[in-house]
Amino acid sequence: MSNYYADADKFGDEAASPLVEAFHSAVKDRVRQALAQSGGDWNAFVFDQSLALITEADFAAIDARILELGHRYEWSALVSVKERPEAYKPAAGLAGDLATFSFEHPGAVTAPADADGWAQCGVGDNVVPWDEPLVGTARYVRSSEQVLKYLTEGVPAGTIAVIDDSGGTLTAPILEQFAGVLCAGGTVRSHLGILTREYNIPCFMNAKLSGIREGDTVKMEITAKAKTAEAYQHGIEMTARVWRKAGARD
Amino acid sequence: MSERKITYPQLLETNALIQQLADESYWLCVTRTVQESKLFPVSPYMLLSYFMAFYRYPELVRKVDAHMPAEEIGDRMRNMGIKCANPAMGWGLPSFYLLGREYLINLGLLRPQDAVEDVIDVMDFWKRFQLAWHRNDGHITNSAYGHRAQILAERRVQVFHADMYECRQGDALHNAAQAFMAAASQYGFLISCESRISLHNSGPYKLSDTREMIVRDYMDLSESDFPWLDDVARGVPYNNLTVPMAIEGCHVYLMDDWGSFESEPEFKAHHVVGVGLYTSDTLTDGYIPVAMESRDALTNAFAELTETVKDATAKLWKRIASWSRDQMMDAGAITYFAIAKDIAHVAGCYEVEDWMMVDERAQRFRPLLNDEYSNAFLGELVGSLTNPSQRLNEYSMMMHSDQPARMYTHLPYSVLEGEFTRTVGPMRPGSSCLAPKQDRYTTSQGVLTLAEYNRRARDFSPLAATDDYRHLCETWLKYHASDPRAQALYEREQQHSRRLAGRGAGLTRADIEALRGGGE
Repeated sequence: MSNYYADADKFGDEAASPLVEAFHSAVKDRVRQALAQSGGDWNAFVFDQSLALITEADFAAIDARILELGHRYEWSALVSVKERPEAYKPAAGLAGDLATFSFEHPGAVTAPADADGWAQCGVGDNVVPWDEPLVGTARYVRSSEQVLKYLTEGVPAGTIAVIDDSGGTLTAPILEQFAGVLCAGGTVRSHLGILTREYNIPCFMNAKLSGIREGDTVKMEITAKAKTAEAYQHGIEMTARVWRKAGARD
Repeated sequence: MSERKITYPQLLETNALIQQLADESYWLCVTRTVQESKLFPVSPYMLLSYFMAFYRYPELVRKVDAHMPAEEIGDRMRNMGIKCANPAMGWGLPSFYLLGREYLINLGLLRPQDAVEDVIDVMDFWKRFQLAWHRNDGHITNSAYGHRAQILAERRVQVFHADMYECRQGDALHNAAQAFMAAASQYGFLISCESRISLHNSGPYKLSDTREMIVRDYMDLSESDFPWLDDVARGVPYNNLTVPMAIEGCHVYLMDDWGSFESEPEFKAHHVVGVGLYTSDTLTDGYIPVAMESRDALTNAFAELTETVKDATAKLWKRIASWSRDQMMDAGAITYFAIAKDIAHVAGCYEVEDWMMVDERAQRFRPLLNDEYSNAFLGELVGSLTNPSQRLNEYSMMMHSDQPARMYTHLPYSVLEGEFTRTVGPMRPGSSCLAPKQDRYTTSQGVLTLAEYNRRARDFSPLAATDDYRHLCETWLKYHASDPRAQALYEREQQHSRRLAGRGAGLTRADIEALRGGGE
């Protein structure tokens, strides 16, 4: 189809993400077929014939072909992997395997234990500066089942929630009960950052962590400066440190 | 086929509006947030909502415009004090539409010269609404004002200023207000499926040399438009609540078009030194005080509302946690798509089928929208701008990043040579896998059916938006403060005020401060 507009882009080529490009190339292939099938008149095709010729089944077939090639999707919402385990990479650290689970982020800055036994185990973006560092017990909160359990039983005092959800909904009914939050996503302007500020709960967003196990005693450098919008825009590092106490566990 | 003539000036203006949004959208998306959730498939539902916006907004804005012109809706909303948060009309309506358009261009399903009348009409509606909504500050967006939103007239700011109660961190009122705002913010994120659409800030307004005022709105809190609030939000007595806050020792230097702000120094709870509480909706002439008769009454109201909101949060969270992915997708996409739904309420032509359903043309894309693809594509669409349609020639340097890129594709001027299509066409059926909406709408006039709500909305206008008063603007007021019509406007605004009832148009800010007598 020589006059298909998507084939004549002087300045644009492919999407940066291989997965996006794979999907979009497949959709365009289907459009080329459908346009030819319709007689090649774009104006008649675009809002009329294409609705009958390009259907939900076509997009489902593209999804199936990607999976047939062996690709498994990264998940971001628990419900996605729960409903289609065959299509997504497996989820770990959600409940039963917490005893052996820890975040191991590539960007985590670590350092050996100091004289008091505090070993640096990561960094994060401080939401609001406070006068004193915060010490508490690390507890992973990563699934609605865990939230429901804490909603029923109450959150143990002194809990520093270790979360990979920068949103404000997963932990909505129990957030107020946290002593602190280490969030492995988002920015200080994300919804969880906004809410912890409203609740006066110390919080690091975009945390890069390594080696924190369920029940570890951890310390957050919440005295660090809050990360600014300008720092995000210009890629300026403004991080606060996280330590775990060697051998200390709740 | 439409015979409507498309002109060169129309295209020039439309492209300027598109570019203005493209510049600001990029800045908002890279500096304000990374939105994600382990509960909701956020990126997938956002992408679904963009398709919905592209296919339905043109017909919906034409329908609303036929009932009431965009600029009249803007005038009414400004005077009603209802939900017209900047994220809704200032950014969401045009941006969701343009994001849907950009998405389809990159899927190979739409050329830049397709649906030209639709693009022109959506942008024109947006422009007329925004100019009316921002009439008092004279800008089209917050960003055009250097990120500031001074929407309100002096008469309303004076009432907020006069009636707010002093508070200090640690006292009962401060604690109660702070607890309410935290709980209501959290509830708002849950209502709107992880988006910030239910809460909004505007201002600042200068109260004194050391104080500024922020106006914070919480919206859609009760049983109203969203089906997922039926039953669980029945105990929430107000659909919209507004908290004017006086802040001291802290300058708000940025109020963006998503209704979030930046301050110097960093805003913290102790900066709040005065608060009030109001409700408003499509049927109110301005803001109605809530428990503003005494400090104790206000403190108790905040405390009671906090408990009510927490209870609703727990009930709603349990409902949502039991949903399927498709239900979460529908609720999230509908929340985004319906961001501008209140224009239909004001015009008295709101219909569930228009705003609470996923159009069949958008539904077909659902199998594409797995988490990984959606996150990656959305990141390219609004962050890295690396989709083919967004790349410009290599000499180009876009605002904010110097990339050769543009978030939203312009309309080509070759349209004037005749090679284009006009419109996506009329509305098509929609569907939703959520529970059907109950016919219960919580308003300032009680719980109404939708038909009754629309009827009352059509019959109602705030005084300042009626024919005799609509054009009596702040510039006119400057030279006519003793005119009887100015007195009438001020007295209407002051009718529920504890301190200003009947005082009229002659007061200055210093007079208000003197009348406050310490804010007790």
